[in-house]
Amino acid sequence: MAQVGTRRLEGVGGIAGARSRPRGRPFRKLDDSRFFPLVLLLPILIFFLIWNVVPLLWLVGLSFYRYDLTSPEPARWLGLDNFTAIYNDAQVWGALGRTLSFMFFSVGLQTVLGVVLGLLFWGSSRMPGRRLALTLLFAPMLLPPIAIGSYWRLIYDPIFGVLNYYAREIFGQRYDFLGSKDYAFPAAVAVDVWMWTPFMILMTLAALASVPKAELEAAEVDRLPWLKRLWYVVLPHGKFILMLGILLRTIDAFKTTDMIFVMTKGGPGVKTELIGLTVWRRGFASFSMGAASALAVIALLIAIAFTSIYLYVLNYRETRGQFR
Amino acid sequence: MAEIRVQGLRKEFGALVALDDVSFSFPESRVTCLLGPSGCGKTTLMRIIAGLERATRGDVYFGGQRVTHLPPRKRNIGMVFQYPVVYRGISVAENIELPLKSEKLSKAERTARVAEVVEILGLGDHVAKDITQLDNGTRQKVAVARAVARQPRIILFDEPITNVDANAKLQLKRAFKELTRRLEQTIIYVTHDQTEAMTLADQIALMQDGRIVQCDAPRELYNHPSDVFGGWFLGNPGMVFVDGTLSANGSGTVVTAPLFPAPVPTAGGASDEPATAVTVGIRPEHIRVATGDAPGAVAADLLRKSITVGRQYLLSLRVGDVAFKAKVTPQVGESLPARGAVWVTLPPERVTLFAPNGNRVDATLTQPR
Repeated sequence: MAQVGTRRLEGVGGIAGARSRPRGRPFRKLDDSRFFPLVLLLPILIFFLIWNVVPLLWLVGLSFYRYDLTSPEPARWLGLDNFTAIYNDAQVWGALGRTLSFMFFSVGLQTVLGVVLGLLFWGSSRMPGRRLALTLLFAPMLLPPIAIGSYWRLIYDPIFGVLNYYAREIFGQRYDFLGSKDYAFPAAVAVDVWMWTPFMILMTLAALASVPKAELEAAEVDRLPWLKRLWYVVLPHGKFILMLGILLRTIDAFKTTDMIFVMTKGGPGVKTELIGLTVWRRGFASFSMGAASALAVIALLIAIAFTSIYLYVLNYRETRGQFR
Repeated sequence: MAEIRVQGLRKEFGALVALDDVSFSFPESRVTCLLGPSGCGKTTLMRIIAGLERATRGDVYFGGQRVTHLPPRKRNIGMVFQYPVVYRGISVAENIELPLKSEKLSKAERTARVAEVVEILGLGDHVAKDITQLDNGTRQKVAVARAVARQPRIILFDEPITNVDANAKLQLKRAFKELTRRLEQTIIYVTHDQTEAMTLADQIALMQDGRIVQCDAPRELYNHPSDVFGGWFLGNPGMVFVDGTLSANGSGTVVTAPLFPAPVPTAGGASDEPATAVTVGIRPEHIRVATGDAPGAVAADLLRKSITVGRQYLLSLRVGDVAFKAKVTPQVGESLPARGAVWVTLPPERVTLFAPNGNRVDATLTQPR
């Protein structure tokens, strides 16, 4: 009897109240059942199973086989051969290195710019047209990367690109941004920064919104200089959301493929070939599905590793009592 | 240390008038409590004084200086908020010291100031602790310490002990008492808790609907509320109000009310006015209740007797169709029956008269001859 009582109490007030109403409600049995949450989750779980888990297992399986779409042979078991081949492949290491530096520069710049712009937006709550400016700023984030890649290929175009118009006006010469071995990589980073800085602004604004008003007011009354305010008041509350933003951006930057694909296809040479493009090249240009799968598995493991590091850091801070 | 003066202060939030042309002076080096029910504008008034809120109209002066348009950081005030605000990631001592670092103070001076407030607030055991190890009550103490260590001329408290547990409340109250005795800063303390106001304040400014209705020393305010609201809001339960009539009877004026066996003469009332309605107010604990008749007593029905704080008894009584409450000592309470007939006396010197508009009438009752 007592147990029934406590179980009732566990419910949220409103729901508990509704439950005690007289019977005759449809789904009452289902509603009370502890399988109810499971039933609600089932559609998405099925979706997840079919579209995520099964292909993933398929991918992992394929990575142990030689399976070339160009040869009539059936798939042949290779064991770890695909992985050892990758280990010895300088091209893969090169692509990994480029991917890491792409992540470092683009996420780093996005974070710095996002935080600075976020702070400026936060501090200018009475600026006229602030809402419009924010909306415009978020536009790149809402466009598909393919579209963004296409726009920027045109903007960077050496003959009729708008950027080169100004380059010629100012410096008196044209630059083949995407075709030059010096500029292609920074140009790709710049597009990613252009696209994703708004996201970091958004995360910064969310982080700032999580700072209790009273603490900011106390800091104002206590006459703390702004740097100390950021450090002692804003950062302790906002850093979780900010970290989450950086985490999401890092994982996303790691798998950047489509935008680069449209702009340079990894060129010139391999100057902008990130790991996602290498996987694509192995799979759909050379049709070596087994080798491509193995590379994809490695990429997946790296992404999981990044996620784990961040989650560990978040968790570590939290258990040290920052949220208590 | 400065007097705080507000002049014609008005604050509107849309259609809501939070402050209705308040002009008031908070005396230097005293503790003034802003007391009133939720939504009466007391916090708004304090936030405007702090500079955290901008008045729709009116001015704020600290001493002779007009500060209406200064931001909070330029007003040199200390403030303690309803929720304990502490800076994270640093120890208690560093928390208290942090605002001092922006002042031009030597390291020795800073340490001395921190040591002083730590001692007053009894934070000695906690100085080296990280802020996250503390409960809410202690955090609030840290917030108080930080506000006073800078020695601003004005300190504002915004319901500082509402959100701490009962035990910490007592401790904090004691610490405040000690603080206000030692520091001679001008202090404004906002609260909706009358006990808190009664114990801490040098004077209480009672607020209602965006106005300060009365400002007096706690005892004075309690015993002589200047209008019905003060009588009703203060005390637990508040004043008993009974309708009566003020009328002339040849030699002077008398008050007639159901709780008086005969008309009671007044002192100070004019004798030639026509009869007017008055409200007879008395504190429940001033009503005398006995089992036997006495001069000036009326017969009453005791409906309910319940025990309350300090083992006092709260009585529900009725005379005719007038129902009211009285509070009596444990001895008297025990001597009374659980219900039944009793005799009730309203000592004339304890009665306050109010006009129909709620203001106190300048006439006191005297003993019937």
